[in-house]
Amino acid sequence: MTITTGDGTARDAELLRVRNLTVTFPGRRSAPWRRPGKVVAVNGLDLDLAGGETLGLVGESGSGKTTTARAILRLLRPSGGTIEAAGFTVGAFGRRVPLGYRRAVQAVFQDPLGSLDPTKVIGDILAEPLAVHFGLRGTERDRRVAALLEQVGLAGHHLRRYPYELSGGQRQRVSIARALAVEPKLIVLDEPVSALDVSVQSQVVNLLEDVQERTGVAYLFVAHDLAVVRHACDRIAVMYRSRIVEEGPADRICESPAHPYTEALLAAVPDPDPARQRIQRRRRRELGAPAPTGAVPATGCPFASRCPHRMPVCTESFPDWTPVTGGGRVACHLHGGSPTTPEET
Amino acid sequence: MTEALATGTAGAVLAPDRSGARITARLLHSKATLFWAAVVLVVVLCAVLAPLIAPSDPLKGDIRDGLLGPSAHHWLGTDKLGRDVLSRVLYGARTALLSAVEAVGIAAVVGIPLGLLSGYLGGWTDRILMRIVEGVMSVPFLVLAIALISVLGPGLWKSMAVVGVVYAMTLVRLVRGEALAAREELYVDGVRVAGAGSGRIVFRHILPNITPPLIVQITLMIAGAIIAEATLSFLGLGAQAGDASWGSMLSDAQASIRESFFLALPPGFAILLTVLAFNQVGDGIRDLFAREAKAGSMGVNPVLKAAGQGEAPPAGVFVDDPVLSVRDLTVSFPQPGAGRVAVVQGMSLDVGRGEIVGLVGESGSGKSVTAMSLLGLVPDPGRVRAASIRLDGRDLAGLSFDELRKVRGGEIGVVFQEPIASLNPAYTVGDQVAEVLREHAGLSRAQARERVVSLFGQVHIPDPAARLGDYPHQFSGGMAQRVMIAMALASGPRLLVADEPTTALDVTVQGQVLDLLLELREQTGMSILVITHDLGVVADVADRVAVMYAGQLVECGPTEEVFRRPSHPYTEGLLTSLPRNVRRAGRLPSIPGVVPPPSAWAEGCRFAPRCAHARPECSAGPIELAAGGRDRAARCVRSHDLTLTGVRALAGEPSAAPLASVRIEKKP
Repeated sequence: MTITTGDGTARDAELLRVRNLTVTFPGRRSAPWRRPGKVVAVNGLDLDLAGGETLGLVGESGSGKTTTARAILRLLRPSGGTIEAAGFTVGAFGRRVPLGYRRAVQAVFQDPLGSLDPTKVIGDILAEPLAVHFGLRGTERDRRVAALLEQVGLAGHHLRRYPYELSGGQRQRVSIARALAVEPKLIVLDEPVSALDVSVQSQVVNLLEDVQERTGVAYLFVAHDLAVVRHACDRIAVMYRSRIVEEGPADRICESPAHPYTEALLAAVPDPDPARQRIQRRRRRELGAPAPTGAVPATGCPFASRCPHRMPVCTESFPDWTPVTGGGRVACHLHGGSPTTPEET
Repeated sequence: MTEALATGTAGAVLAPDRSGARITARLLHSKATLFWAAVVLVVVLCAVLAPLIAPSDPLKGDIRDGLLGPSAHHWLGTDKLGRDVLSRVLYGARTALLSAVEAVGIAAVVGIPLGLLSGYLGGWTDRILMRIVEGVMSVPFLVLAIALISVLGPGLWKSMAVVGVVYAMTLVRLVRGEALAAREELYVDGVRVAGAGSGRIVFRHILPNITPPLIVQITLMIAGAIIAEATLSFLGLGAQAGDASWGSMLSDAQASIRESFFLALPPGFAILLTVLAFNQVGDGIRDLFAREAKAGSMGVNPVLKAAGQGEAPPAGVFVDDPVLSVRDLTVSFPQPGAGRVAVVQGMSLDVGRGEIVGLVGESGSGKSVTAMSLLGLVPDPGRVRAASIRLDGRDLAGLSFDELRKVRGGEIGVVFQEPIASLNPAYTVGDQVAEVLREHAGLSRAQARERVVSLFGQVHIPDPAARLGDYPHQFSGGMAQRVMIAMALASGPRLLVADEPTTALDVTVQGQVLDLLLELREQTGMSILVITHDLGVVADVADRVAVMYAGQLVECGPTEEVFRRPSHPYTEGLLTSLPRNVRRAGRLPSIPGVVPPPSAWAEGCRFAPRCAHARPECSAGPIELAAGGRDRAARCVRSHDLTLTGVRALAGEPSAAPLASVRIEKKP
C-alpha cells in the first residue's frame, strides 16, 4: 500500500509538512513474560498546512486526532515518519525541544481549567512565556501582558485572578493569550471549544478568527464537531481509526462528502431545525451501524466493517488516494483505483 | 454525577475568593486543630525561651539536693544529681525540636529534589533511585541507625542526620508518586508547550501543586523525629548522658526508678504531648486540604413542601394529562455572607404522557439542578422547595427520602452523562441491572436474569446473554449508555430523566442512542425529560422544549414552533450562535458576555444585560412568565412586539435543500 501525495494538497508556503507519521503505544501483554503488543494510534498520516491557513482535523474519539496533535507539539515521540514545521524537523529533537520550535508552534487545549497551573494567577501564567523566550522582566513584561489580555478581550483586573475564578470562556481566552505571547506561526487547537457553552463557543471561534486576521497565524483545529469545524476551517481532514480517509476544502467536504465515513459523520450532526433534522435522522438511520470494537484490522479499509458500500476489495487492501472533484482527495475503493465497481457487488 | 453537580453548583454559588483565604477561614472553624496548633506553639516558645524562663541551669545541680520531690523551689523536683527537672524539660524541648528540624531538614533537602527528579524524569533515573530507596527502607530503622552510628560514633547531631537520611527515603517515595501523577496533568503540557524547561516545570509548577501533601507529611515527620530523638538518646546513641534531652531524662529516670517513680513523668508527658500535638496538627491540615478537594457531601435532600399553592403558571406551561407536573420549584444554596441564594427559582413544568420534553440551558442555568431536585439528589447544603411535584397525580413534595427512593428507580428512571462512571466497576453489568429488578420488582435470581437479557435485547446490545457477565470497563461509551438505559427501564418507569445522555458520546453513537430513546418511547409509552445543552439533540427528539436561563424558565413551547420563531431573545441568541452545517458567512453571531453567577442575578429580567433588545422597562422589576398563544410561554416583556430570528431564517436556503451524500465517481 502506498500513499500518493500531491494533487490539491501541495502548497507553496508550507508551514507544516507531515509525512507518513506513525505513532504506536504499547498495548496489553498476552502473558506477563511476553512483550506487550502494539496499538497503532496514528498510521501513515500525511498533512500539509500553509501559513495563515486553518486545517480542521476531525474524527471520533480514538481516531488518533489528538495523538497527531501531541506528536506535532512533540509532547510524545512518534514511532515513524517525519514532521517538518516552521523550518524544524520534529523527529530530530532529543529530550529537549528547541525553544525556537516552541516559539513557532503553540497550543490551546480542550480543558481550559486543567491546562492552566492552578497555583498561578493569570498575570504569572501570561508572563511565563515572555520570560522564557524573550527574557523580559519588569514593566516591559507587564506592558506586554496587558496588551495580550486586551487582544483576547480580557481586562486588567483579571491579572490577579486564579484560573478557577474565571469562567470557561475566559480561561480559554487566557490559554489563547498565552499561546499568542510568543507570536507563533502555528497554533495547534485541541478541541478548543468543545468544553464551552454554545454562546461562548461562538465568541471563542470569532476571537480565533480575529487573531488570525491580525497576526496571520495558522491553525490546526482538532475537533469532533463538524459544524464548528466547517465554520472555523478552510480545509478539513477526516480521520478514522488511525488514518486520514478524506481531505479537502471545508465546504466541499460538508456539502458533497466522498468517503462514506464522512457522510455518516455529517448525517450524525443534529440540526437545530426540527424539519431538517427529520430528514437528517432518516439519513442517520440508513448509514448507522454500531461502531466496531477491538483492534483496527491489519489489512483493508478500517471503515469496511460498518460501511454500507462495502465490497470484497475493501477488506483486502487499504485504498489509494484518489482526487475528488471540487478539491481534495479521498482514500476509498468506491472512487476508483480498484478493479471492482459498486454496481457489480 | 453528584460530583459534577456539586462542583457545578458550588462553583456557581460560592463567591470566588482566594484559596488561601478559604483555607484560613476553614482553619478557624476547626477548633481542635487550632488547639493543637496552640500546643505546638507553646512547645516552640518553651524551646526558644528556655534560657530566659528556666529557673536554673539544666546541667548543674547539687548532688546533695538529689531526688527531691516537687516543691515551690523545684516545681518538678530534682533528679539524682540534683538538677532542676523543670529546667531540663524546657531545655529538652530545645534539643527535641532542633533535632527534629535537623532530621526533617535533611530529609526535605535530599528527598524532595530526588523525588521530583525521579517522578518527572522516570525511566532509568527512576528505576535506580527507587531500588536504592527500597533497599534503605527494607532495613529496620533502629538497626540502620545503630549500624551507622557505630561507624560515625555517637553524638546527637550525627544520629539525627542518620534519621534524616532514612526520612529522606520516605519523602522520595511520596514526592515521586505525586510528581508522577502531576506530570500527566494538562497544565504541565501547557507549560511545556510554552517553552519551559524541565527545571522550571518541576520547581515552579509541579512543586507548588504537590505542596499540600508535603506539608502534611513533614508535620507528621517532625513528630516521628521527636520520638526518634528520644529513643536514640534513651539508648545513649543520641544526646550524651549529661545533656538535657527528654530521652536521656527518661534514661536517668529509669536508673533511679526504685528511688523515685515521679522522675519519669515530666519527660514522658512532654514527649506524649508534643508528639500528639504535631500529629493532630498534621491530620488537621490533611483534612483541610481533603475538604478542599470535594465540594460537598452527597446529601439526602427530600423536596420540602412550600407553603401555599404558589402562583398558577401561564397557559403555555400546562399540558393536558401530565405525567409529571412541577409547580413553583425553588432550589437554594447557602452562600457565605449572602444567606441562601436560589439557583432555580419558581420553576413550573409539565411533561405529558408519552411526551419527550427537552430542558435546555447553558451551564449555570439550573437545568441539571432542576432534574436532580425531582429525584431528591441535590447535594447537601442545597434546599429544595416546591408547591407540588406531581407524578401521575401523586405529590412528591413532602415525601421522606425513603419514599422518594422508591419512586426514583421505580416510577422514575434516571440516565446520567457519564455511563461508565455511573456503573460500579466491581460488579458485572448483568448483576447491576438484576439488582434493580430484585429490589423494585422482587424477582428471583433466575427471573431477574431472564428479564435482564430481554432488557438488553430491547436496548439493542448485541448478544445480550453473553454480555451479562461483562464488567463496565469492557463496554464502549455507547454500549455502557445502553446498559444505563436498560437499568432505568428495568422497573418500567413512567418517566425517564436523561441528564445529558449523549454529551460524553461520539456523534455517530449519539445518534444511535437518541434513536433508541425515540424507539423506547414508541414501545413503552413512557415520557422522557431530556436535559441537554445541545439544541440539535432537542430538535432531534423533543416534542416540547423548555429553555432555562439563570435559574428561570424563560421560554416554553413545541420545539418546532419555538425554534422556528422564538419569543425570547435568549432563545434567539442560542439558536443563531449555534454553528450549523451551512456555508460560512462571516462571523458567527454570538451573545455577548457570560451567564452571571446567581449572586449577581438582576432583579428585573436576568438576561437584560446581555440582550440586544433590552429597554429600561426590562430592568424595572421581576418579569413574569406570560402565555403567548395556546401552548407557548415566554418571560419577556417585549415578546409581542419583537420579531426574532429562528433556525429557518438563518439557514437561508430552501427547506428541500439536498443533504450531503456520497457521490460515486468512477475513474474512466
